[in-house]
Amino acid sequence: MEFQAKPPVEAGKFERASFTGNASEYFGIWIVNVLLTIITLGIYSAWAKVRRKRYFNGNTVILGRAFEYHATGKQIFIGRVIVFAFLIVVNLLTAINPLFSAVTTVLILVALPWLIMRGLRFNARVTSYRNVRFDFVGSAGGAFVAIMLGSIVAFISLGILAPLASRWSWRYVFNNLRYGDRAFSTDPSLGSLYRVWILPALMFLFGAFVSTAIIISIAVASGALSGGDGVSSEETIGRFAFAAFPAVVLAFLLYGLAGLFYRAGVRNVAWSAAKLDGRHELLSDLSRWRFAWIAISNVIVTIFTLGLMRPWAAVRLARYVNEHTGIRIHGDPGQVMSSIEATGAAISAEYMDMEGFDFGF
Amino acid sequence: MASDPAVIARGEWHPANSSHATPSVLRAENGRLVAEGEGTVLAMAVPERVEISPRVGSIPRRLTFPDGSVLETRDNDAIDAYLRTQRGARSGFVHRLEQFHPRLIAITIAVIVLAASIYRFALPALVEVAILVTPPFVPEMIGSGTLASLDKTVLKPTELPEAERQAISEGFEKLAAHSEGGKQAYTLNFRDGGVIGPNALALPDGNLILTDDLVKLAAGDREMILGVLGHEIAHVEGEHSLRQLYRVAGVAALVMLIAGDVGSGVEDILTQGGALVALSYSRSAEAEADRRSVEFMNAAGYDPAALARFFALLEEKLGDHGDTSMLSSHPGTPQRQQDIRKYSQELKSRSGAR
Repeated sequence: MEFQAKPPVEAGKFERASFTGNASEYFGIWIVNVLLTIITLGIYSAWAKVRRKRYFNGNTVILGRAFEYHATGKQIFIGRVIVFAFLIVVNLLTAINPLFSAVTTVLILVALPWLIMRGLRFNARVTSYRNVRFDFVGSAGGAFVAIMLGSIVAFISLGILAPLASRWSWRYVFNNLRYGDRAFSTDPSLGSLYRVWILPALMFLFGAFVSTAIIISIAVASGALSGGDGVSSEETIGRFAFAAFPAVVLAFLLYGLAGLFYRAGVRNVAWSAAKLDGRHELLSDLSRWRFAWIAISNVIVTIFTLGLMRPWAAVRLARYVNEHTGIRIHGDPGQVMSSIEATGAAISAEYMDMEGFDFGF
Repeated sequence: MASDPAVIARGEWHPANSSHATPSVLRAENGRLVAEGEGTVLAMAVPERVEISPRVGSIPRRLTFPDGSVLETRDNDAIDAYLRTQRGARSGFVHRLEQFHPRLIAITIAVIVLAASIYRFALPALVEVAILVTPPFVPEMIGSGTLASLDKTVLKPTELPEAERQAISEGFEKLAAHSEGGKQAYTLNFRDGGVIGPNALALPDGNLILTDDLVKLAAGDREMILGVLGHEIAHVEGEHSLRQLYRVAGVAALVMLIAGDVGSGVEDILTQGGALVALSYSRSAEAEADRRSVEFMNAAGYDPAALARFFALLEEKLGDHGDTSMLSSHPGTPQRQQDIRKYSQELKSRSGAR
C-alpha cells in the first residue's frame, strides 16, 4: 500500500494493473448514492457519478499508482442541465410546429460526432495518473468517420465488415489519446481482428439458423394442421407462440454471447497492438469465455437481487478486466514515468468544459 | 509516524503538472500545512488554501497547494482526523454514511421503500404528465408508421366479401359514435392477417386492423366481432399504447438515473426488453377496455356481453382455462368473461330502471 514500496520491475516483463476496491466498500458508496439521488429528486446523480468514478479510477492501480478522476459534480450537473433544457426547448418547438422535429433531428445528427469527440475529450482530461492528465486530440470529423460511418458500414454489410469498423474506432480512440506530452498509438491488423471475429460470426449464424429453422418448422406444421378443417388456426397459433418463445430466447442469448466474445476479442487485439510513446507496449489478454461468463452472470445476479448485488458485479468485472490489462515499460519504469510532463489544454485544472456525450471511454 | 507529533501523514509530492514524485511528509507548522521531503520544504500554505479531495472509500487523497503542486497520500484516516480538528464533526459526512456499518441496513431499507413508492406513485404521475404534453402528431406518426410497416411485412389485402365488410363497418361506426372522439376519430381497416391469425389491433392514431381470420372465426356472429372492435376502440380512446410506452421508457430512465451505472447488460435488457414489453397492454388497461366495450355495445343497442362470447370461443379453441397468473399481463379469460357478464347485467338493470 505504501508508495515507497515500489515493486521491482524486470525489463521486458508486462506489469499488470489491479483493482484494489472491494464489494462491501463500494456497496456503501453505491447505496448512499442511490438514496441521496432519490431524496434530491435526481440532482445528486451528478455528484454520485463523481464519487463512483473516483472510486473506480482510484482503485485502478498500475505500477503501484492509482488513477484519479477530477470532474466535479457541478461540472457534470451543468452539462446535464444544458442537455435537459435543450430537450425541453425541442419538445416545445415541435409542439408548436411538427416541422421543427425534423430540423432538430438533423441538427442532432450533425452534432453527434462533435458530441462524441467532446465526451472522449472530457473523460480523458478529467483522468490523471501520477499527477499528469490524459488528453484527447481527435476531431469531430474523425469521430464521424470512425464511429458513425463505421457503424453504418458494419450494419449495411450485416457485420461482415465489423472488424473494419472496429479498426477505425480503436485507431481513432488510441491515436488521439495523449498522456501528458506522450502519445498513444495503435494499429490493429485486419487479419487479427478477423481472427477474433470468426467465432462470434459463426455463433450469430448458428443462432439465426436455429431460430428460423424452429419457426419455419412450426409454421409449416401449423399450416398443415389448420389447412384441412378450414376452421381457424387459433389453436395452432397458440402453440406456435409457445414453441417460438424458446427459439427467441436461444437466439437472444447467442447474440448476446457473440457480442461479448467479439467485444473482448477486439479489446485484446486493439490494446495489445497499442503503444505509449512509441515504445511502451500495452497488453490485454481477456479470456473470452471468462469475460462472457462474468458479464452474463453479473446481469443475472443483478436482476435477481433487484439491483442490490450490482456493486458486487461492478467490482467483479473491474477486477477481472484490470488484472488482464498491462504495460511493458522499456527502461526503468521509475525514470520513464517521472519524466512525463503535462502539456497543452489539459494543463489548466480550472478550465470549464461540458461533459457532452458520455461515450463510455 | 507518531514519533513526530507535528507529522499529519506521509505520501508523495508532485511538482505542478509533473509526474516526478518525491517521498514527503505533511506537517502542521505555525498554523500552516507544509509538505516536506528530504529535509527541505516543498510546498507550504495556510490550511484554507490547500484543497483536500473528499474521501471515497480508501483511494489516495490529494492535497493540492496553491502553487499547483500535489501531495498524494493513502493515509486517509490521518487526514480525516486532521480535518476533524480543523472543521469539526461535519467533515466527511457522506463518507461516514457510506462506511460498512449496521446503519447501511437502514439506508438499504429506505432505498427499497422509496424505490417502491416511486414505482407506485411517481411513475404513474409522470406518465400522465407525459401524455398531457404529447403533441397530437406523435400518435399519428406512430400509427401511420406501424400500419405501413405491417402492410409491408405480415398483412395482405382482405379477401372478405364487400357486403360483409360493409355490415361490420356500419356497426363499427355506431360503436365509435359513442366514444369520446366520435366516429371520425377511427378508421377500420380490413386485412388478411397472415401469421398473426385471428386478431384485432388498435394503433394509437385511431386506425384499427381487423383480420379476415377473426371474422371467419366468429362464423357469422357479427355482434361478437363488434364487441372485439369496441374493446380496441377503448384502447385508442384511453391512449393505452402511449401510456404503456411512456411507462416502460420511464422505468428504464429512472433505473438508469437512480442506480447510475447498471452495467451494459442490464442496460440492454432495459432498453430492448422494454421495447417488447411496450407492445403489450397492462392488465388494468385490458380490464378498462373490456368495460368500455360493454358500454359502447349497450349504447349502440347491441348485446353488451358479446365480447364474453369471443373469450369463450378463445377458451374453447386455445384451452385457456388458467386463472389470472402473475406472469401474464392478461387476466385469465374465464375471469374476464365473468367480469364482462356482470358489468353488462349491471348496465342493463340500470337502463331498465330508468
